[in-house]
Amino acid sequence: MKRAATAKFLLSLVGPIALIVLLSMPIGPLSGGLGIIQPVGGIFDVGRGLDQQSDQRIVIPGIDSEITIIIDEWGIPHIYAESVFDAFTGLGYMQAKDRLFQMVMQTYLAAGRISEVVGERAVTTDMFHRSVGLRKSAVETFEWYLENENTSTDVAYALEANRGLTHGVNAFINSMTSANMPIEFKLLGYTPDPWQEVNSFIWAKYMTWGLSGAIRDLDRLILRTKLNNDTMYHEILPSVWPYTVPIVQEQYNLSIDDYPYAPGGWPAVLQSDSVVVEEDIGDLLVQPEYEPLLKVFEEVTRVFGDQEYVGSNSWAVNGDKSASGGALLANDPHLSLQAPSLWYEAQIVIPGLLNVQGGTLPGTPGVLIGHTANIAWGMTNMGADFVDLFVEEINPSNASEYRYGDEWLPFNVVEEPIKVKGGDVVDFSVNWSIHGPCIDGILGDTYGLANIAMNWTGNGVTHEMLALGLLNRADTLEDYFDALYWWDGPPHNFIYADTEGNIAVTVAGKMPVRSGYSGKYPVSGSDPNVGMIGFIPYAYNPRAVNPVSGYIQTANQLSIDPDEIGYKILGPQDEGYRARRINEWLAGASSVTAEDLMVLQADVVDIPARIIIPYVLDAWDAAGNGDSDVQEIIDILEQWDFSMETNLTAPTIWVYLLDSIKQNIFDELTRADVSLRYAFTPVLEWILKENISYYLDDKSTQKPESMNDILVAALQSASATIRSELGNSTADWIYGLHHTIVIDHLADMTSIGNEAHRGSIYTVNVAGGWQVKHGPSRRMVVDFGTTSKFYTVYPGGQSQVMFSKHWDDLFDLWFDYDPTTKHYSYTEEYFISTATKFAADYGGSGAIEYTIIMMPKEGTL
Amino acid sequence: MRLEDTFPSLGILPTIIVVTVIAIALQLSGVWVTMLVAGAFAGLFTRRTRCAFISGFTGVALAWFILFVYLILTSQALAIAGFFIGLLGISGGWIVITISVVIGGLLGGFGGVLGRALFELVDELSNSMSVEDSSSEAEASVN
Repeated sequence: MKRAATAKFLLSLVGPIALIVLLSMPIGPLSGGLGIIQPVGGIFDVGRGLDQQSDQRIVIPGIDSEITIIIDEWGIPHIYAESVFDAFTGLGYMQAKDRLFQMVMQTYLAAGRISEVVGERAVTTDMFHRSVGLRKSAVETFEWYLENENTSTDVAYALEANRGLTHGVNAFINSMTSANMPIEFKLLGYTPDPWQEVNSFIWAKYMTWGLSGAIRDLDRLILRTKLNNDTMYHEILPSVWPYTVPIVQEQYNLSIDDYPYAPGGWPAVLQSDSVVVEEDIGDLLVQPEYEPLLKVFEEVTRVFGDQEYVGSNSWAVNGDKSASGGALLANDPHLSLQAPSLWYEAQIVIPGLLNVQGGTLPGTPGVLIGHTANIAWGMTNMGADFVDLFVEEINPSNASEYRYGDEWLPFNVVEEPIKVKGGDVVDFSVNWSIHGPCIDGILGDTYGLANIAMNWTGNGVTHEMLALGLLNRADTLEDYFDALYWWDGPPHNFIYADTEGNIAVTVAGKMPVRSGYSGKYPVSGSDPNVGMIGFIPYAYNPRAVNPVSGYIQTANQLSIDPDEIGYKILGPQDEGYRARRINEWLAGASSVTAEDLMVLQADVVDIPARIIIPYVLDAWDAAGNGDSDVQEIIDILEQWDFSMETNLTAPTIWVYLLDSIKQNIFDELTRADVSLRYAFTPVLEWILKENISYYLDDKSTQKPESMNDILVAALQSASATIRSELGNSTADWIYGLHHTIVIDHLADMTSIGNEAHRGSIYTVNVAGGWQVKHGPSRRMVVDFGTTSKFYTVYPGGQSQVMFSKHWDDLFDLWFDYDPTTKHYSYTEEYFISTATKFAADYGGSGAIEYTIIMMPKEGTL
Repeated sequence: MRLEDTFPSLGILPTIIVVTVIAIALQLSGVWVTMLVAGAFAGLFTRRTRCAFISGFTGVALAWFILFVYLILTSQALAIAGFFIGLLGISGGWIVITISVVIGGLLGGFGGVLGRALFELVDELSNSMSVEDSSSEAEASVN
């Protein structure tokens, strides 16, 4: 009997053990196992108390004194503290509370550690980021701050802010419960490590890389060698786009005595010291690994967005043009639209020292774009070329050396073992030459030893965090100049307005002066006389201050007429259609209000359509063949006002038509096996305006085609394509049926949007592609009128929790276009200088969602 | 003292109620393995393995169902379930909740079977020990 009972007991263990194994084992990417779907202690905990937040008192050991955080109706924290450390502890805690998964994933991605979280599929991505050297540069930058902490109060401020942020993030991580742990961590079965101070520097590095890291040298070389026709090459890819309107119309130099260095204290050189060499086609160093390398660059995840979509708009008007007599400023950075957003809004207040509000990047200690009480600033990407490639000659008798002049120098080999989830480690190392990391190491041994070194101006020590610390405390135009003296990452256009009525723009950042080469193509790294010899002095960076026009506009286009600055800035930059639209709008405007700027931010007039379609209509009038299908299209286009609205069919026709025109006119590219992505619209505009018969002729036919012939042919092929793809009914061509916005979760777990969306890649309200995944990542309008008002919105919400009302409440505003007012909705910021006043002014009004009081120890209150 | 003598057989319905209450209390700890323990109580108040499984299964499933009803009403459990199943390319949050309740039930059911077997083994061991003790005492008294 005893034996039977024992056997029964052992048998009864089978079921429970099987269940335990079954519920614990990973199912595909859901590493947390099925056990996480229990009612309590699993994924369902994230829904508890989400939208019924109540006031909280939290003990945070290590802070100096009480911190008050008022969370407003949009989930935006307003942090009031007595010291820098405390204020940024508050920010770090709130960023982690609302965005921890994003912070961890983004930092791991930038550091080349994402395989630790998601496994083997991310190893190539990790190799890529290790090769770029973002983490290495971040560590070097962090060490520079530590070395200079005791000699500069501004460096000390930046470090103290970062320490506070780190303390706050870790305070959250340490107190994290099942209810506020991000659901993504539960699904992935991952517990985050403590936050490190260097993480903020890593993310700052990634930001600069994300906005400037493109190896155009390879693009140019491949295009030039494939075309094998230098005249055509220079017309297809000119150094300055035709008809572009530069940002800086009147250059404003600062005193070289006051600002003797290049940004960040780097050596400044005069252009006369450089010998720019334009390489002949026969001089180009062609390597077999270029195309595979370019492919890797194009395929790797880019959190800030694909290079062709990264851009921004900003403009400012002074009192001469504004209705109130005060300055106005608008800015909308065009980045990848992701959920949760790249942006996290916050106000940070330390009495007598800091009162700043705007968009922070989760994981960094400060406001990147925003305002203080007296100044506001915005950013747009400069979009010039800051990455040069050097082909190192490897010593045939010692592969660990490369030639530099008459010497063989050893590569600095940096071991970068990549840990993979599950315990595996992939051995990887990066060779660094004097020019930078050899990035072709990611291709393995297929093409021999890695020897293509990348000189990116963002590598090594940079001082963005110092610059932001100063900018966040700035109150005057001089403060703004001083702050940007430290911005030495790849450049951005920093637009500015203040309560004194000043407006300005500074193209801030380190702009290289090259010698012995052009910087356009990969060159041999063995000649010490070839390379970047220094940077443009900050005093002479492109800059405008209170121009007579009364306005400034930037949209990633040409910074300044090359003859005006005297330095070679390697472009071409943006094609310039948004800038042209903004410029014509502002030039013709008067008595401008903040609402007018919102209207301009929502503008969807497609300038290329407005320029090119009249040529098409004229061509049909002159040489049309009576084709009824084409006539139907012509009838629609004749009625169109060139606005890319979702309820019209003309925008859809235009997208097809532009493709067709490019296919018909740029047959020279397709015959040379060159992608039509090199068929740039400003060049097309030039061909049409100047009637360039060489390109207008279709070389595949005997008879020479005229412009009318080629445009009619384009109309016919566009008509055929649209009918074959969308059908014959024009009701199926409605733009909004096909042009939609989709904002994916950053781990692709869900999405926001999936709705019809206005605009195109050329409109001020930018919306490129059929499925729009990039665009205005944050809209801001600042009105320094009689009373200062600040309007902001971004496509998403403050919370990372997809079940929270703050997951997409700001998206609802961002997407809410009102045809009557002709603009989208915004939040009007609560910008209150003390917590007491905030509570007194808005307590009980619904403006305050809840309050968090942080205390250094129990019973402080 | 045998466990069966200490804990009376309650019948299935009262046992389900007991398991339900214990399961709710233990589930609040957030550790799903404890549902085996909750189910094991079914083995204590029933005498047959099948009854223990049914009581454990139903008790824990009922406990989880009650908790889910509460979470659906207060904490968006249905939306969360819908999100989860969406990751697998399927729609329908109820499927997740149903699967979860069944999983809870299985934990309770197998817990009941395990409990029943364990208690029987304990009783068997205790029984044989007391028989051995009586034999020894008898032998001692003969001697």
